[in-house]
Amino acid sequence: MADVIVLANADERDLRQLAEYRAVGGYTQLERVRSLEPAAIIDELNTANLRGRGGAFFPSGRKMQFIPPKEQIPKPHYVCVNADESEPGTFKDREIMNRVPHRLIEGSLIAAHAIDSQHVFIYIRGEYLDAFETLRTALDDARGAGLFNGVTVVLHRGAGAYICGEESGLLESLEGKRGQARSRPPFPAASGLYASPTLINNVETIATIPKILELGGAEYAKIGAPPDSTGTRLFCLSGNVVKGGNYELPMGITIREVIYDLGGGIPDGRALKAVIPGGSSMPILTADQIDVPLEHDALRALDTFLGAAAVIVVDDRACMVQLGLRVAQFYMHESCGKCTPCREGTRWMVQLLEAIEAGDATHSQLDLLLDVCDRILGKCLCPLGDAAAMPVASYVVKFRDEFRAHVDQGGCPFGGESSLEGLFAPVDQHTHHPVAEVPA
Amino acid sequence: MLRIFRGAGLSHRFARETGGLVVSPQPVDTLKGFGVTFKQIFKKPLTMQYPEHKRPVYPRFRGRHRLWRHENGLEKCVGCSLCAAACPADCIRVVAAENTAENRVSPGERYARIYEINMSRCIFCGYCELACPFDAITLGNEYELAEYDRDDQIYTKDMLLAEPIKKVPVADAELYDTPIPYYRAHS
Amino acid sequence: MSAPELVTVTIDERSVQVPKGTGIVETAAAAGIEIPVFCYEPRLGAAVGACRMCLVEVEGMPPKPQAGCTLFAQDGMVVKTARTSEMARVAQNATLEFILVNHPLDCPVCDKGGECPLQDLTFRYGPGNTRMTFDKRTFEKPIPISPAISIDRERCILCYRCTRFSESVSEDNQLVAVNRGAQTMIATFEDEPYTGAFTGNVTELCPVGALLPTQPRFEIRPWEFQAVPSVCGLCPVGCNIDVDQREGKIKRILSRNHPEVDEGWLCDKGRFGFSHLYAEDRITDPLRRVRSRGLEEISWEDALDDAERLLREANGRIAVALSGSETTEDAYALAKLVRKGLGAHTAMLPEEIGGGLDAFRAPLSAIRDAELIVVLGEDPVVERAPIVDLWLRKARRAGAEIVEIGPAGDVQIAPGTTARACRKLKSGELGDRLRASERAILIWSGGGAGGGSHLAALATDLGFADKPGCGAFFLPETANGRGVAEAWAAASDDEGPEPEPLGLLIVSGDEAAANPNVRALAEQAERVLAITMFHSLAVGWADLVLPGTSYLEREGTYVNVEGRIQRLRRTAIPPAPDELAWIAQLASRFEVELSPSPSLVFAELSERVFGGVTYEDLGEEARLPDRVPLEAAPAESADEPVPAKAPGGTLQLLRYRPLFSGAAVERVPELQFQRPAPEIELSVKDAKRLGVRRGEPVSVRSNGTSVQLRAAINKRLKAGVARIADDHARDLHPTVEVSK
Repeated sequence: MADVIVLANADERDLRQLAEYRAVGGYTQLERVRSLEPAAIIDELNTANLRGRGGAFFPSGRKMQFIPPKEQIPKPHYVCVNADESEPGTFKDREIMNRVPHRLIEGSLIAAHAIDSQHVFIYIRGEYLDAFETLRTALDDARGAGLFNGVTVVLHRGAGAYICGEESGLLESLEGKRGQARSRPPFPAASGLYASPTLINNVETIATIPKILELGGAEYAKIGAPPDSTGTRLFCLSGNVVKGGNYELPMGITIREVIYDLGGGIPDGRALKAVIPGGSSMPILTADQIDVPLEHDALRALDTFLGAAAVIVVDDRACMVQLGLRVAQFYMHESCGKCTPCREGTRWMVQLLEAIEAGDATHSQLDLLLDVCDRILGKCLCPLGDAAAMPVASYVVKFRDEFRAHVDQGGCPFGGESSLEGLFAPVDQHTHHPVAEVPA
Repeated sequence: MLRIFRGAGLSHRFARETGGLVVSPQPVDTLKGFGVTFKQIFKKPLTMQYPEHKRPVYPRFRGRHRLWRHENGLEKCVGCSLCAAACPADCIRVVAAENTAENRVSPGERYARIYEINMSRCIFCGYCELACPFDAITLGNEYELAEYDRDDQIYTKDMLLAEPIKKVPVADAELYDTPIPYYRAHS
Repeated sequence: MSAPELVTVTIDERSVQVPKGTGIVETAAAAGIEIPVFCYEPRLGAAVGACRMCLVEVEGMPPKPQAGCTLFAQDGMVVKTARTSEMARVAQNATLEFILVNHPLDCPVCDKGGECPLQDLTFRYGPGNTRMTFDKRTFEKPIPISPAISIDRERCILCYRCTRFSESVSEDNQLVAVNRGAQTMIATFEDEPYTGAFTGNVTELCPVGALLPTQPRFEIRPWEFQAVPSVCGLCPVGCNIDVDQREGKIKRILSRNHPEVDEGWLCDKGRFGFSHLYAEDRITDPLRRVRSRGLEEISWEDALDDAERLLREANGRIAVALSGSETTEDAYALAKLVRKGLGAHTAMLPEEIGGGLDAFRAPLSAIRDAELIVVLGEDPVVERAPIVDLWLRKARRAGAEIVEIGPAGDVQIAPGTTARACRKLKSGELGDRLRASERAILIWSGGGAGGGSHLAALATDLGFADKPGCGAFFLPETANGRGVAEAWAAASDDEGPEPEPLGLLIVSGDEAAANPNVRALAEQAERVLAITMFHSLAVGWADLVLPGTSYLEREGTYVNVEGRIQRLRRTAIPPAPDELAWIAQLASRFEVELSPSPSLVFAELSERVFGGVTYEDLGEEARLPDRVPLEAAPAESADEPVPAKAPGGTLQLLRYRPLFSGAAVERVPELQFQRPAPEIELSVKDAKRLGVRRGEPVSVRSNGTSVQLRAAINKRLKAGVARIADDHARDLHPTVEVSK
C-alpha cells in the first residue's frame, strides 16, 4: 500500500492522538517549511501538480500564487478549509477529519505559511458532529503543543446548507450573512473573506499537502495518472455495491476495478445499470462505459467529471426517473434562491420529473425537461444550477427509452418494485430542520 | 324615377330642336310621370316605420356595451382600466378599489368601484372589448341610445351590468355564419 | 483631477469610448444599446448578478453567457448582447421564462402593470407563451409589511433590490430574505413592521408589483397619472419629486433624481405625506369668528372686505408671523402688502438664517465625497433633514470619518454648548485635520446656530472658502425659512417701530399657527388673521381665517439648505384660491402693485436678491448658485444662554422635533406608525443609577407635570441628559425628574 497518501498509517495507528501522529512523522513538514520561503512550498505543489479535490480540479499551487502579497493588499490574508462536505455520495472529508485530523491541521498551517496568513478557518458541515468533536480535540492538542505559532484556527460549524460548500457561499456564511453565492469577479484570492485575500481549499487537498512535502513534489507526481491526474483520491464507493466505503487509490484506476475488484460487485446478483463517477452532480455513465479510468481527462472525454470522486453504483432495480427526481429534489431544496435560473429552474425540473414519474407527462415534456436543463446550464451565478441540470439531462439522454416508457405506460414501469435504497437518502431526510444539537 | 329624368332630358332636347323657342312639354309625358307616382300607391312601401318596426341588426353589430358577471354573481370586471386605455374616444372612466371579505365584488383583489361610459362620445369601435383581459365588457346590439339630457348619456356600472331595457331584434346568427363569441361559449 | 483613462469597447459591433472601469450596462447605454436588468442598480452598491437578465456574450471569456452588470469596461473588450448573439438572446429569453414560471401574471390587477420593468422586458426579450403547465408557487398575499407598504410575494422575482437598499443604503437591515430556494421570500424580522425614514423607496426600487404603497392601492393605473415635476416642501433639503395626480387629486409622489440633492431617494414624510391635503378638517372657505357660533363660512368677497377692514383698523400696528413653509413669492407678496401698503415692518420669522454660509456653499453630494465630516448640534440629522443622513451613511461606507459633536455623539457636550464646541474646533487636533483636509464638511443640526454664523466663522477660520471640496451646512428647521427671510427683507428697506399695542397679528401657515410663541403673541393682539389649512389650528383665536394651501398646490420657489432655489409647481387643484391670488387682490386695495403671477413676483424679487435669475433659468433640475465670497469676517451672533445644569438627581431635558410630526403628518393615517414611540432616551449611566432597564415604564416629572414614558437606553447619550421627542415632552420643563 505504498500509494496511500492521505490516510497513510491510519490503519495501523490511531492518528487522532497527537503523539501517534508525531510518531509517524507528523508536523515535521510544518516545522521544516516554516524556515522556507512560501514560494518554495508553492513550487513543490506545482511540481506535484496537485489539483483541487473538491471537484473543480483547479491547480492548488496556482491558486496560492493568485493570493496577492501583503504589500499589494495590506489586509489580513485568510485560509479557509472547506469541510462542508454535503454532496450526496461523498463522505471522504469526514473520513479524513475522523481519522487523520492532524494531517488536515498540519496542511492548513502549511497553507497559511505559504500565503503568509495568520488566520485559518475550518468551515465544517453542521451535521458532522463526530468529525467536529475529533477535530476540536485535535486542534486543542495541537494548540496545546504550541504548533500554531501565532496562527489562529477557527472551527466553524455550518447550519445545514449545501450552498455553503460553494466557496463564496461559504465565505458569506462565515461572515454571518445568508449563505448565498457571490458574483465573481472579484475572486476570493483578491477579495474573499471580509473583502480580504482568501485561499479556500477542500479538506482532502489540504490534507495531502504534508505528504507531498514529505515525498517531494516530483515523487508525488509519479503516482496516479500523470500528467494531470497525479496522486491518489479517496474514492467514496456507494450505492448498489457489496463493499461500499472509502478507498484511497491512485487516480487512473478503472471503474470496473473499483466496483468489482475492490467493491465486491453488485449485491443480490443484480446487473449493473449505471455509474455516477463523481457525486450526484455529475453526469452519469452507462454500464458499458465502466472501463474508463477514473482520471480527469478520460472522464472529460465521456462528458463527465471526477468531481469529488464519489462513485455511486446504480443497479438494474433503480428507475432513472426516480433517480433524477431525487437528485432534482435535492438541488431544488438546496438552491439558495439568489439567481433566477437555479431557483426557478430546479423547481420546474422537479415538477416535470414528478409528472413523468406519475405518468402524466407527454413526450414533448421530455424535450422540455432537456431544454429546461439546457437553460439552467451555464447561466447561473454559481455551479449549483449546473450541478442540478447536468446529471438530470444525462439521465434523460442516456436512458431516454426508460423515460419514454413512463409516458407511454402512463406510469412507472417499475411499479412499486423500483428501489433507490442505498443510493441517496430519501428526500424527507434532507428536509429536516437542519440545526444539529450543539453539545454542551 | 329613371324614366322621369329621361323625360326631362327629352323635353330639353325638344326645346333645343325647336330652335330655342321654349314650349311646354308634351302633356302625355306629364301624365306618364304621374302614372309612375300613382302606381307606387299600390306597392308595398320599402320604408320601415320606426320605432313601431325595428329592423334586425347583424349579430355582430356593435351597439350599447354590456358588463358581464360570472355564474356565481361576481363581476368579471376587475377594474384594470385597459378598456379606458384602449378607448380612442376617451369615453370610459374606471376607478378601482380593493375587494374585502365583507364586500366582494369581483373574484380578484381589485374591482371597478366606478365604471362609466359616456355614450355620447363612444364611437362603438369595440376596442374596449378587444382590450378586456377578462371578457368582462362586450358590445351588444342595442342602438337606441338617445336621451333628452346629456348627463343621461353617461352609463354607470349598474346600468351596464343590467339587461338593456330597450331590446332590438337581432337577425339569426346562422344566416350570417357568425361564430359564437368566446364569451358566450365559455361563461 | 486628471482625466480618467478612456478605453474602447465594442458592443454589438458598435465601438464606444468610455472611462476605464465603467460598468458594461452603462457602456452599452453609451453606445445606444440596452442591456436589460432587474437587480442591477448602481445606487445600491456593488452589482450582485442575481437576476441573470443582463447575460451577454463576451469574446475571450469562457464560452457561456456572462452577467453584464458585474463586468467593467476594459480596452479591446468585445461584447455581444441579445441583438447580435444567439447565446445571449437565448439566455435572456431563458431568464424571463424562468422568472415568469412562478410569476402570477395578474397584470390587470397589479398596480405596477403599465410601468412594470418585467412587463416591458418580457415584451422585448421574453417568450410569447408559457410552457409551464404545473401549479405555480403560491404565498399568502398581500401582506402589509407596514401600514404604508404591502408585499405580494407571488409577484416577487427576488432581485434583492429591497434587501440591498435596507442593508446598504438606509442601513437598517430590516428587510431580509428568509427561507431558501424557490421558497425564498422577502420579509421583515419576526414580521415586525418595516419602520424608518426611508422605507417607501423600496416601492420605487421594486421592478415588479411586489412592494407597493398602500396609499393609491387600486385607485389608478400608471398611464392615467399626470406627472408634475416639483420639489418636496416638508424639510429644508428640497428633494426633487414627481407628483402624480389624476383628476386633480394627488395619488402618489415619486422621487425625481437630482444627483446633487437627493440621488433619487425620498423620505417617507415626503412620499406619503401628501394625503394631508384631503384631511377632513381642511379649510376650504374663508371663516369669520362669530361670538355665539364660533367660526362661520363666508364668501371670498366678504372675506377680502373683512381682511381690508382688519388691516385698516390696525392702523399699521401689525405683526406677521411666518411659518417658513410659504413660497418665497408668497412671503414677498405678504411682506410687500404690509410693509409697502401699511408701513408695518414687524415680522416673526420662523428661525434665524443668515447668508454667511453662502461662501462655503457646496452641493449635498459633496458630503459623499468628503473624507472628514463633523456634525455639530443636538438634533439627530435624520429628524431635521433625512436625506442628509443618507449622504452621511454613504460617506461612511466610502471610508469617510464622521465625528459627531453633541449631547449624543462621539464627542459629548452639554446641551446648549454647541456654539462653544464650534469655536473650540478652530484649534485642536480635529481642527488641524479639518484645516489640512481638501474634502471636509461641517454640518450643524440643531438649535443655537445663530443663523449659521458660528459655523460660518469656523469655516472662515478653517479656510474652507478657497477649497471647493469643503463645505458647511446649517440644517434649518423649516423648509423655506431662508427664502422667507430673504423675501421679507427684500420687500422694503424701511424700518418701523415695534407695534405697541399690537393691533393685528397675521399668522401665515400651519407651523406658525401651531407655534406656542405665536400663540402667546396672539394673546396680546387685538385681532388675529390666520392663514391656515386646518380647522383645529384656526378655532378659538382667529378673527378671520383664510384657507391656506400646501406646497403641493402652489407655484413658487423654495430655497433649500444649500441655498439652491428650486421651483414648486401646482400639482393639485387647491380647494381655495392660493395665497398669492388673494394677497394680490388685497394689495390693489392698498395701492400696492403686486402681480398674482408667481413668475412675475419672482422676477421682481429676483432682481433684488437672487441676481435676476428667472424661472426658466431654474429649470426642473436647479443648479447650485456660485459661492458668494464673504466681504468681511462673519459677525458671530451671541451664544444662546446655556441652560442651567440640572441639580443633582434630576436630568436635563433635551427636546427634538421628530421628522414624523407636524400638522401634515398628523393627518396621514399611513404615517402614524412612524411617529416616535413614547420613549425617553437615557444614558447608560443614568439608567444604571435609576435602575431602569430598556422598555420599562418610567414617570418623568417636572414642576407639577408628569408624563409616563418607556425607557430607552442610548449608549451615545451624555450622562445627565434625557432626550424626549417634542410630541411626548409636551409641557415638561428643562429639568426633569425620572423615576420608575
